[in-house]
Amino acid sequence: MNELRPIRSALLDVRNLHTHFLTDKGTVKAVNGVSFQINQGERVAIVGESGSGKSAMAMSLLRLLAYPGKVVSGEINLEGRDLNRLSERQLNEVRGRLVGTIFQDPMSSLDPVMRISNQMIPPIMRHLGLSREKARAEAISWLDRVGIPDAARRIESYPFEMSGGMRQRVMIAMALSCRPRLVIADEPTTALDVTIQAQIVELLKELTAETGAAMIFITHDLGLVARFAHKVGVMYAGKLVEFGPVKDIFARPRHPYTQSLLDTIPPVDQLERRRLAQIPGFPPDMKLPVTGCAFKDRCAGAHRRCFEVAPELEPRGHGHAAACWLPEGLGAGRQMERALIPPMEPAADAGEDRVVVEINNLHKHFTTRSSLPWRKPPTVRAVNGISLRIRKGETLGIVGESGCGKSTVARLLLGLDPATSGDIFIDGMAQMVFQDPSSSFNPKMTLFNIIQEPLVVTGWGTKAERETRVRELLGQVGLDESYMHRYPSQLSGGQRQRIAIARALALKPSVVVADEPTSALDVSVRAQIINLLVDLKQKLRVSFVFISHDLLTVSYISDKIAVMYLGEVVEYGPADEVFNNPAHPYTQALISAVPIPDPEAEEARIQKPLSGELPSPLNLPVGCSFASRCPKATDYCRTHKMVLKPYSKTRETACHYAS
Amino acid sequence: MLTYSFKRLVQLFVTVLGVVTLVFFTMRLIPGDPISAMAGDNLSGAALDQMRGQMGLNDPLPVQYLTYLGRLAVLDFGTTVTTKLPIVGLILGALPVTVSIALGTIFLTVLISIPLGTLAAYMAHKGNRMLDNIITGVAMVLDLMPPFWTSLVCLLIFSLTLGWFPASGTVSLDDPAMLLRRIALPVLVLSMAQIATLARITRTSVLEVLNEDYVRTARSMGWSELHVLFRHALKNAALPIVTVIGLSFGNLLNGTVIVEFIFTLPGIGNLLVGGMNSRDYQMVQTLIVFYAMIFVAINFTTDLIYRVFDPRVQF
Ligand SMILES: Nc1ncnc2c1ncn2[C@@H]1O[C@H](COP(=O)(O)OP(=O)(O)O)[C@@H](O)[C@H]1O
Ligand code: SF4
Ligand code: SF4
Ligand SMILES: [Mg+2]
Repeated sequence: MNELRPIRSALLDVRNLHTHFLTDKGTVKAVNGVSFQINQGERVAIVGESGSGKSAMAMSLLRLLAYPGKVVSGEINLEGRDLNRLSERQLNEVRGRLVGTIFQDPMSSLDPVMRISNQMIPPIMRHLGLSREKARAEAISWLDRVGIPDAARRIESYPFEMSGGMRQRVMIAMALSCRPRLVIADEPTTALDVTIQAQIVELLKELTAETGAAMIFITHDLGLVARFAHKVGVMYAGKLVEFGPVKDIFARPRHPYTQSLLDTIPPVDQLERRRLAQIPGFPPDMKLPVTGCAFKDRCAGAHRRCFEVAPELEPRGHGHAAACWLPEGLGAGRQMERALIPPMEPAADAGEDRVVVEINNLHKHFTTRSSLPWRKPPTVRAVNGISLRIRKGETLGIVGESGCGKSTVARLLLGLDPATSGDIFIDGMAQMVFQDPSSSFNPKMTLFNIIQEPLVVTGWGTKAERETRVRELLGQVGLDESYMHRYPSQLSGGQRQRIAIARALALKPSVVVADEPTSALDVSVRAQIINLLVDLKQKLRVSFVFISHDLLTVSYISDKIAVMYLGEVVEYGPADEVFNNPAHPYTQALISAVPIPDPEAEEARIQKPLSGELPSPLNLPVGCSFASRCPKATDYCRTHKMVLKPYSKTRETACHYAS
Repeated sequence: MLTYSFKRLVQLFVTVLGVVTLVFFTMRLIPGDPISAMAGDNLSGAALDQMRGQMGLNDPLPVQYLTYLGRLAVLDFGTTVTTKLPIVGLILGALPVTVSIALGTIFLTVLISIPLGTLAAYMAHKGNRMLDNIITGVAMVLDLMPPFWTSLVCLLIFSLTLGWFPASGTVSLDDPAMLLRRIALPVLVLSMAQIATLARITRTSVLEVLNEDYVRTARSMGWSELHVLFRHALKNAALPIVTVIGLSFGNLLNGTVIVEFIFTLPGIGNLLVGGMNSRDYQMVQTLIVFYAMIFVAINFTTDLIYRVFDPRVQF
């Protein structure tokens, strides 16, 4: 245990922390003996699936848990003082002053009826003992540092007058404004777009480095971790199962859980595509007592000892520690066990290779109602002239920041909205899989009825034929037939998404449109769904339109990628080409914002996050729509519209200077 | 804001017109008219008929209605049937009593239920539902007791038996002490009907806000629980509370009629009761127009207060 002994200079030394939620249904042991140290200025990432106790642990540090949460025992030594023994009043001198906190959802973390000034200035006055004028100047300078334009004026805004990214910047300014020694950030970028996420992470890194503050960064995104953490702690079922320097963790993870988590991420280098690792089963119910290792039911390396005695966090050298009976976990050979994805077989005959979806010059304009009858109502150009083709069995990935028109294209394809102009030709039928399937299911229907609904509606087959078809569909999406008689509420998120896919496939559509189908799922489950989609693509030769802001996943699953910006396609081409050698400045920016789960590679990358945010689609610029954020923009770009033009044999792009 | 004011004006106009029409015809559906109510059995049928003719009561209903609207349009509210006093003057004279009762009730209700509801919310937030259950229980009992009944009980106990509050005596603004003692019981009775409701609404909305992320943000900046409650929770919970207070005015006006009658207070409510008894069409109609205007004014004020509490509210 020597390496885990606290170093004298440790800023925060947490020992054996236990936090419980005393609910009516029993005690949820959310944090189960967590110990770790953070040194001055160190950035520690805590990762784990949702429900693993990350937030409960972080909130316990400052006793910010709401009822019924309670820190049951443990020491939380901050600069030598045990926070767990402080009175509420003493703790209020630590909160905001010595420890700043940033929360997940910027939309709800600021008081909606209070000006930013009234939320930021009083804490500075109180904690730093400054006069109102001085505190105001301080607040403005922080807003300025976090990149709020025109801070002196914007400080008088209300939160609703700002975008999510801006609000998260304000949150950061607030958390740092009293110069804390430690910043706790609980999933601070989860609710944001990739480009904004990259900006925020970069900002946090810079500011903590400047002020010398240490940071605890909670996330479920391992890629982000590689980008900026010094150390990583992996949590599972309320315990730290692995802790160590970031490069060690990525290069040589020792715990089977960490190893599997890393293998669930689609690789950047996709020359040799393997199936993603899946972690079977579910995390244990934390209301029940655990004997042995909490991961044993999902672990490929589980053996007798794991069922009897729980392993403790033991040193593995170089400040690395893991809680597993196997010194190397599943070992390095584990990756070879995952099956290779065979390349798509060439079509048997020409008819098999036909185009099943063709979109020509598609427009969708939304006209909002004008406030005054004589004024011309503003028009939102959500889709502004796009043309695409999808061949049979091909998967088209659509990427872009939120608000760029991805979902509108999906709705147009499905005929849920009429197009303003342009043609959509579909050979056969299009079906949909939504981000959150639970909201699209009738909770009172059995899964059998949910899946057969499209069959019944279209009068497909006899009762017996429909039943056979439902069984076949359940088999295709990897669910047991016994699920037929269950109800949606009895399923996990991943299982519900399987049912949604089964229903979408029921009528043998020629194209399935999936709008962010994995965004609401945890990493391990996400990998299962992605594997399933890849299988279905191989087996059924269905075409997919896969819409997501997760570029790594899109490039893993798609054959072609269309990059959208402000209702237009700015780049289109084969997935690997677009991902590895982007031509359009916007694609380049998007891809450089994607966190890569490899600290060495991250260090080598030029980190220049895309500045600014998506402009309003209300008044589109005359010239190139990307000109306001493009690092290469010239006056010519600002005045001359660019359309999609061939860039290479296989690729098209819309930029004057791409060559 | 301009369109908004315009909308409100239209609303006022439509409300008043609708109410006036409804009252005009229902009054005439009730058996008896001002002349028979005034004269009783003393006058002959012919004499009564002549008086009716003078007042235009023999004209066909549509004609009477149009005449009435015509007068209303030039703000001629008429006089009472019996005493021939201008009605507007009577209303203005009775106003202070009713306004005192109404404002007193609102004041007492707010004073008790908002702190009580906030405290209950805070305790529930910390997992203690005791005060919660008490408020719910008391509210249930109070809801079962109509103001009419509570008025009589209070009158019996506090005025007639214990003699703490006078049951009669002139009421005017010139003698505020007497005014206070006379309206104390009515205010108490009416508040009882409102306190429980408002406390429950306060409790629900504050509890909801206490679970919001921004409350946690305030705590994370080192603010005490009291600061969090008053600076963040109450302000955010204000919208539903203001709405309920605005709505409760309706009940309140209802209530003033009952308590003024039982406690013999010379307010607007009593004018209305008197007007109904003497079938004084003009009096009742004018009072109803007046009530309608108060309603619209309260709506308007509620909207304005919304804006103070929530910058997101736009018109
Ligand atoms: N208010 C609560 N009441 C009961 N259980 C809770 C509450 N909040 C969290 N939990 C439980 O505590 C465990 C850890 O949750 P959390 O810390 O939020 O996980 P994470 O942040 O890793 O997603 C989960 O089992 C969760 O269900
Ligand atoms: S202790 Fe056993 S079950 Fe737990 S992670 Fe290690 S090998 Fe797997
Ligand atoms: S056309 Fe100009 S502004 Fe547009 S992407 Fe190309 S370089 Fe940038
Ligand atoms: Mg969490």
